Amino acid sequence: MNIIDKLNSKEDMISPGISACIGCNVELTLRTCMKVLGPNTILAIPPGCMGGVGVVGWDMMSGANCPVFFPLLDNPASMLAGIKLYYERIGRKVNVVAFAGDGATVDAGFQCLSGAAERGDKIIYICYDNEGYMNTGYQRSSATSKYSWTSTTPVSTEGRGGKKEHKKDFPMIMAMHDIAYMATCSPAFIQDMVRKIEKAMEKQEKGLAYIHVFNPCLTGWGIKAEESIEVSRLSVETNFFPLYEVIDGQFKINKEYKNPKPVKDYLTKIKKYSHLNEEEIEEIQEIVDEKWDRLKKLASL
Amino acid sequence: MINVEERVALMEFKSKYIAPVGADGVYVINTGDWRTVRPVLDQDKCIKCGICFMYCPVNSIVKEDGKFIIKYDYCKGCGICAHECKSDAIIMIQEAEK
Repeated sequence: MNIIDKLNSKEDMISPGISACIGCNVELTLRTCMKVLGPNTILAIPPGCMGGVGVVGWDMMSGANCPVFFPLLDNPASMLAGIKLYYERIGRKVNVVAFAGDGATVDAGFQCLSGAAERGDKIIYICYDNEGYMNTGYQRSSATSKYSWTSTTPVSTEGRGGKKEHKKDFPMIMAMHDIAYMATCSPAFIQDMVRKIEKAMEKQEKGLAYIHVFNPCLTGWGIKAEESIEVSRLSVETNFFPLYEVIDGQFKINKEYKNPKPVKDYLTKIKKYSHLNEEEIEEIQEIVDEKWDRLKKLASL
Repeated sequence: MINVEERVALMEFKSKYIAPVGADGVYVINTGDWRTVRPVLDQDKCIKCGICFMYCPVNSIVKEDGKFIIKYDYCKGCGICAHECKSDAIIMIQEAEK
């Protein structure tokens, strides 16, 4: 069955009208993931964009056709670990899934996620990485990339500034926890994403499955709504965010380009990088190349 | 204003799941009102590849009888379908003033 018929045959688990921004690719990611995960799912969405748009319900009104929990910013993984243990005890198989932003994963929720990874709790943790706290007006997070304009790392009138540090290589950090399954996804590669979610559902029996999705944020980064998917695709084609998976410690690169596009093609599409000069673009290119080389070496082990 | 015990009792009876799931109906807002431009699909130019269906963030495009049809109920008019379409079968036109 091809991917179109497969997705068409699945039920949409999310309310048809949620207040995500026009063209938001996190909404696309959430709907696609939930179609694959199906109704037998317990979802936890910590504070963040997807918590704010109405997927999480109060007073018996919820935006999803499955139970949705609203944990704190810093405890989704440990809360789900407890929920999973209860379902194991009563002997019912469910997918216990977190759908958390990068703030709730990379910054605030890191210690409980790291603990769950170490304990091997049988949950699926999906992180949508939009490089900052978008829900509250784009403050920097430790997933924000170098030289990004954010509301807490402003740019001067001479066009200098932005964030000084590059983002944490979080997929790699999770891979080094030796978890059952780790994968990176992009909304521009839906087929790849669907396959990885299915793999995570299969691998969650062995331990934590972690999925890192890179979602360029239209409102925060300054991208036109219709270019949402194009920019996501460019982030992969320039090796800025390579797609790879780690199964039982074995690295595998999923998208490899013979002649990757220069990272400038990606940066010039985005308003938050509009102040960058040639040297700064060159510096980001070097970081990207270095990380790509390291990944290639790990994949060849 | 109902007290906590009543609320818990209500949840248990209204929901078939263990946890309460929008028993009184799912939370829905009419995002179709947001639209300023509307996508129009030309069925003659359409090559039925399904790219628009796959990338629509709102699931507004459905496949019926082998054809892709745009439903306007919740379409926010983002234009991803028109931008991604390989055969330029979708164009964005201005919504008429209400």
